[in-house]
Amino acid sequence: MSGFRTVAIVAALVVAAFLLALSDRYYMDVFILTCFYGALAVSWNMMAGLTGLMSLGHALFVGIGAYSVAWGASVQGWPPLVTWPMGVVIAVAAAAVMGMLCFRYGLRGYFFAIATLAFNEVAFFSVSASVALGRSDGLILPTSSEDSVMMLQFFDKWPYGLIIGTVLIATLAIGQYLLTSRTGYYWRALRDNEEAAEALGVNARAYKLRCFMLSAGISAVCGAFYANYVAFVDPRSVLGIDLSIQMLVYSIIGGMALLWGPLLGAVLLVPFSVLLRNISAMQGSEIIAYAVLLVVLALILPQGIAGWLTARWRRRKAAPRPEGFASVAAAEKSA
Amino acid sequence: MTALLELKNVGKAFGGLKALSDVSFSVAPDEIFAIIGPNGAGKTTLFNCIAGALAPTQGEILFQGRRIDGRPPHEICAQGLVRTFQIVKPFRGMTVLENVKVAAFARHPRPRDAEAAAHRVLAHLGMEAFAETDADELNVAQMRRLEIARALATEPKLLLLDEMLAGLTPAESAAMCDLIRALPRQGIAVIVVEHSIPVVRSLCERAVAITFGEVLAEGTTEEVIDDPRVQEAYLGRADAKVDA
Ligand SMILES: Nc1ncnc2c1ncn2[C@@H]1O[C@H](COP(=O)(O)OP(=O)(O)O)[C@@H](O)[C@H]1O
Ligand SMILES: [Mg+2]
Repeated sequence: MSGFRTVAIVAALVVAAFLLALSDRYYMDVFILTCFYGALAVSWNMMAGLTGLMSLGHALFVGIGAYSVAWGASVQGWPPLVTWPMGVVIAVAAAAVMGMLCFRYGLRGYFFAIATLAFNEVAFFSVSASVALGRSDGLILPTSSEDSVMMLQFFDKWPYGLIIGTVLIATLAIGQYLLTSRTGYYWRALRDNEEAAEALGVNARAYKLRCFMLSAGISAVCGAFYANYVAFVDPRSVLGIDLSIQMLVYSIIGGMALLWGPLLGAVLLVPFSVLLRNISAMQGSEIIAYAVLLVVLALILPQGIAGWLTARWRRRKAAPRPEGFASVAAAEKSA
Repeated sequence: MTALLELKNVGKAFGGLKALSDVSFSVAPDEIFAIIGPNGAGKTTLFNCIAGALAPTQGEILFQGRRIDGRPPHEICAQGLVRTFQIVKPFRGMTVLENVKVAAFARHPRPRDAEAAAHRVLAHLGMEAFAETDADELNVAQMRRLEIARALATEPKLLLLDEMLAGLTPAESAAMCDLIRALPRQGIAVIVVEHSIPVVRSLCERAVAITFGEVLAEGTTEEVIDDPRVQEAYLGRADAKVDA
């Protein structure tokens, strides 16, 4: 694993991108979306790539964060200071309950993935039917004509960029801290071989649960941010399966063996899809172009961008020794 | 003799199949004890029950006088009982050092301490040169050694070794035996599951033989090996004599 220096470099790049994006609202929007999806994908991959827990229902936690903020603001008039923590607490609690059920009954691999998907679908249809949550029409956050720091309402986009950039960097810093600690080693051990990990003293259930709860909490923060940024939430945008799939795609393309791999996927694909959406003349052609890019990337970089980069880096550092390739092969396998 | 490990009438059924029944024996704190028996006798199942991977359906298992049967593996590991796997289970996405570090975290919660402990174990087993090698890259003998290194890094009082020597060359096998033989002096008792009778004779003073999940004979290694029922179970006829 790359150390804190990598996180510092990534953080510096995020800050640089933010400063560049200050020049133009459009760039700032792309920056914000990239950070949003990047943080989400990194948090998703803490489970999938680092602990071996593949969730297909992660939109649930984004939805919980987003709806906490939207419902709190539109129905109760609560400020983000109340609704953000509320969303995180609910999401973490939901993850705890789901995790206890899944891990209690030993659900792994595909079965765990399907269970998370099922929870997500239940939430999707419940919210779509709930009058208090605006049914499938969604909720519009109340806006005033003046900026309000208390309500996280700004005319300019840059304050939102500042917030989500901070969320992203914090996510990476927390992730890196945990990876170098006992928790991170136990997560990777569980991913590689649960039986051996348990025999060597790892409380599998507790550590998987911890990972699930942390990941859900970060996703809820992102969801809360989304609600304040877009000022509108509906089931499709924050609870839909597409959102969960996006986290998966960015992670696979970026590289699942490394903490910051999924961010690379988002950095490449989010601006690309925004660009396509804006230039494509023919309806739906952007989806085809996007799909072609995904297939090509998956074919030429089977271990993701991050895996390819580390392989190159290692090759250069240790040219005569063949070990560098091997760990990338291992990373690829574990992904 | 105060027993380190004591099994009382341990049984394990998989549905209708009785994989173990009425297994009783005890192991002292400073010995190397052998479990022998033909393939499918239930030796690995017995290890699974002792180490907590499976809960016995009958009987009691006491470690240092405390019941451990039915407890989860990580708790049993924390009490000082650790096992290796017949089919090696390295953490393939990690280096050798990281593999051992995972185990060392059981006693040393701080990363720095765990890493130092892992280095000590690797040096002790002569594996320091492989510290940064990916676990995936090791050969069979090295993977076995890694299994032992990880187990030792949990600083156990009792180590269960499941067919550690199978498939090794004579030289590798001899080196492994020397390693095992030195463990009791470091305060680690060992239970080996082993097929090679000469190896069992050279390593262990006491042994138990099981077939079809039942104890055939228990006692000193010589008694157990020379027992006619054991001879028959191994070779399928009563008049056979296992050569040393
Ligand atoms: N999880 C299991 N479920 C059902 N049967 C099992 C299981 N594990 C082992 N067995 C059966 O228990 C018996 C003993 O197996 P095992 O303990 O692996 O033998 P040994 O290690 O002595 O070769 C075999 O008949 C095996 O098929
Ligand atoms: Mg066996």
